[in-house]
Amino acid sequence: MPLPSSQLKFSISWQAIVSVLMFGFMYLPILVLTIYSFNQSPYSAGWTGFTLNWYWKFFSDTKILSALRDSLAVAICAVGIAAILGTLMAVGLSRYRFPGKGLYQGISYLPLIIPDIAIAVATLVFLAAVAIPFSGGLIQLSLGTIVAAHVVFCLAYVALVVSTRLTNLNPHLEEAALDLGATPMQAFIQVLLPELMPAIISGCLLAFVLSMDDFLIASFTAGGGANTLPMEIFSRIRTGVKPDINALSVVLILGSGFAFFVAEYIRYRSEQKRLK
Amino acid sequence: MSQASPPISREAPRKQPAALARLLEPLALLGPAGIWLALLLVIPTLLIFQLSLVPGIRPGDVVNPSGLDNYVQIFQPLYLQVLGRSLFFAAGTTLICLVLGFPVAYWIALLVPKRWRNLTLIGFVLPLWTSSLLRSYAWITILRPTGVLNTVLTSFGLPALDILNRDAAVLVGMSYSLLPYMVLILYASLEKLDTRLLEAAADLGATPKQAFWQVTVPQTLPGIAAGCLLVFITGLGDFVDPELLGGASSMTAARLIYNQFLGATQNWGFGSALSMLLILTVSIAIALLLKYGDRNASGV
Amino acid sequence: MRPTVKKTGAKDELYIYTWSSYIDDSLLQTFTAQTGIRVIATTFDSNETMLATIRAGKGAEYSIIYPSDYAVAKMIDLKLLQELDYTKISGQENILVKFQNSVHDPGNRYHIPVSWGTTGLIYNSEKLNPPPQDWNYLWLNQSQLSRRMTLLNDTREVMGATLRALGYSYNSTDPQEIKQAYEKLVKLKPAITNFTSDAWRDQLLAGDLLLAMGYSSDAVAVIQQDARFKYVIPSSGTSLWSDTMVIPRTAPNPDAAYAWINFMLQPSVAAQVAQRLFFATPNQAAHDQLPAPLRDNEALFPPETLLTKSEGIAPVTQEIAELYEKYWTQLTSS
Repeated sequence: MPLPSSQLKFSISWQAIVSVLMFGFMYLPILVLTIYSFNQSPYSAGWTGFTLNWYWKFFSDTKILSALRDSLAVAICAVGIAAILGTLMAVGLSRYRFPGKGLYQGISYLPLIIPDIAIAVATLVFLAAVAIPFSGGLIQLSLGTIVAAHVVFCLAYVALVVSTRLTNLNPHLEEAALDLGATPMQAFIQVLLPELMPAIISGCLLAFVLSMDDFLIASFTAGGGANTLPMEIFSRIRTGVKPDINALSVVLILGSGFAFFVAEYIRYRSEQKRLK
Repeated sequence: MSQASPPISREAPRKQPAALARLLEPLALLGPAGIWLALLLVIPTLLIFQLSLVPGIRPGDVVNPSGLDNYVQIFQPLYLQVLGRSLFFAAGTTLICLVLGFPVAYWIALLVPKRWRNLTLIGFVLPLWTSSLLRSYAWITILRPTGVLNTVLTSFGLPALDILNRDAAVLVGMSYSLLPYMVLILYASLEKLDTRLLEAAADLGATPKQAFWQVTVPQTLPGIAAGCLLVFITGLGDFVDPELLGGASSMTAARLIYNQFLGATQNWGFGSALSMLLILTVSIAIALLLKYGDRNASGV
Repeated sequence: MRPTVKKTGAKDELYIYTWSSYIDDSLLQTFTAQTGIRVIATTFDSNETMLATIRAGKGAEYSIIYPSDYAVAKMIDLKLLQELDYTKISGQENILVKFQNSVHDPGNRYHIPVSWGTTGLIYNSEKLNPPPQDWNYLWLNQSQLSRRMTLLNDTREVMGATLRALGYSYNSTDPQEIKQAYEKLVKLKPAITNFTSDAWRDQLLAGDLLLAMGYSSDAVAVIQQDARFKYVIPSSGTSLWSDTMVIPRTAPNPDAAYAWINFMLQPSVAAQVAQRLFFATPNQAAHDQLPAPLRDNEALFPPETLLTKSEGIAPVTQEIAELYEKYWTQLTSS
């Protein structure tokens, strides 16, 4: 049919062009950071020569590496927990009507709205004045308390993204599964979950990035030597953030890009095998 | 599969769950998140509210809620101006992200072959793996008078742009950080778009423009709303970009609140009151949006 | 000068709360090698964050904290610190007399200074002729400097400098004087590019800025990078800042804390920190151990004559603090 395909061809050109431009926009600062990570000068003023020193410095800087490790640990744990809790919550909210649902829904949006500094201070006060004494010292400020605080906003983001997907979903699929004799659990896992997967992944990506980048909440709820990456970086501002942090960013992006590529490849191959 | 027999009744193949068991399902879904939020969100928020009712509270003081002085203090032209600036930056960023992000999300969700979709999406979000501070510094390097942008422009004979330390730079920096969020959320919505509807519209003689506005947009309205909401609210909370990129007159509400908690005055009461006000205004906006969305959805 | 330390079983650990730059691997390893105590450090990015987290309940695990001088005064007020037992400290006689009796903590009962510096103007000596000598230069050459200068992103530093330019004290508590300072700043405002305490470095080196208000440590680093730049301490006086070590009242391991203090007072260690960070050291013996270029660096170690008119920024009453904040909000908002 000539009309749709020509219409499709027309669509491809302008959306693709805008997308390519936006990709360029997104990677421009990364390019700048990369270039200056090879710059001899500790400042991003002018090019003074090529060097790999900043990369050596980064790889041998145990403070940064342990901060990176702490940040990744927090992000992975928080997003893992939030993925489960947030998805369950979004499904629950879309299904049931109950007294106080509006309130519950409002609370689930709250983490997005509250200013970081306010929730950071308040969470610390809560932990220090209530949680720690009540638990008899079992709970201490540590990496775990950062995770606990991060789960709060991570699950809000996951729930947000999943719920937008839920509204578009065909509600009869799950009913059909139940009619065919599936238990609610089976219907959930084998019908609903795969449908929601793109949204869950989107939400998790969002939450992961936010957790890795959070500074204020981690600053206030950290303890026991836990130091996340933003804490470490912000603390260096006073004496100047040197290009070894640029090197860190470049390595992070390349590393995670590579990891995602491999994960995608594996998934794709296993899918191909399944289809065969 | 049964053919011309009466519809299979639900009750027959499934065990009718007991009343308690029926409660179990919503509890399992909503319970864990609810408890977590109650402990680590609701109680701290109530704490903030309590703090906001005490004028001049110093950390470590006993909290004796005594009035709305902190709130009254907010309603002065000075602070309202600061709030206004935050709203402007947030709204501007949201608009930019929507306009620029929609084509990208559309392209990835519908036009990119399925095997490359995840990778393209992740590729778009990957730049966010850098610290937001570093990103802002990178924009300084790009936008300053002798920076990357102007070097490129002048080498083509174009006039140099004086963007840094002005509002435009703030919008660029904020849009940069928030564009992937918009794209991620729109993608989740667009990926589910039934392209047969578009084909049907084309069959019925609709131009691409008509198909877009009368089929695509209404179908993805929840995603658009969620994306705009997210970008707007996150934009309200950004104080790094306005400060680094905006120049000498860029005090935002977020920075004002930050200063109350972490400044010389350590006026946690006033900071809490500002926070509560922010929460209240945005909550009302969300509530309205949800109501409108609900009405829309039930009409569909 | 090996400090003696009681090893108390599992308490071989020292938790410190500090700026990231003060600790690096080699320093910690040397300390552990000398004393057998493991150091676990948490970092903060500003005194205010540190104060807020301690007050909100975080301080219980730290035995050493690194506040700046004015923060020490606040912590003393809040009864957060324990008095130092000088019998357990060796090496404090190396501290310059000037720093042995701080205005924030008379008699240094609670703190040991580790570094100090000044605030001043860093400028491009090629482009600015005649060069700046004092704060008033900014107002007199406003048009030349228009949108090519930055000031610090710090209420008290900026207001204080303006107060000084008007002939008043950095720590003025007179609302009239403060108002005059605000109005003077408003006149300068159109020429100010931004208020920043760190982003000026790149822009100054690149030539986008002609002049920046900054700390001596940053100035020394920039000048080392490019000798076209110079640092001047305004002749009418500037602010003197210092970083210190304190032991909180709730310190779980005070013995380790004293071991740390003695370690940091060793001249070689203090000299190493000064070299790495370009902070001036208040430790005379350490100063003598520095390489000549740093030792004689006038930006780092200005002669006494220049410092007679300088003062440290002192905490003020709540009311006055809020007045300063209000003017600052107005300044950065209009």
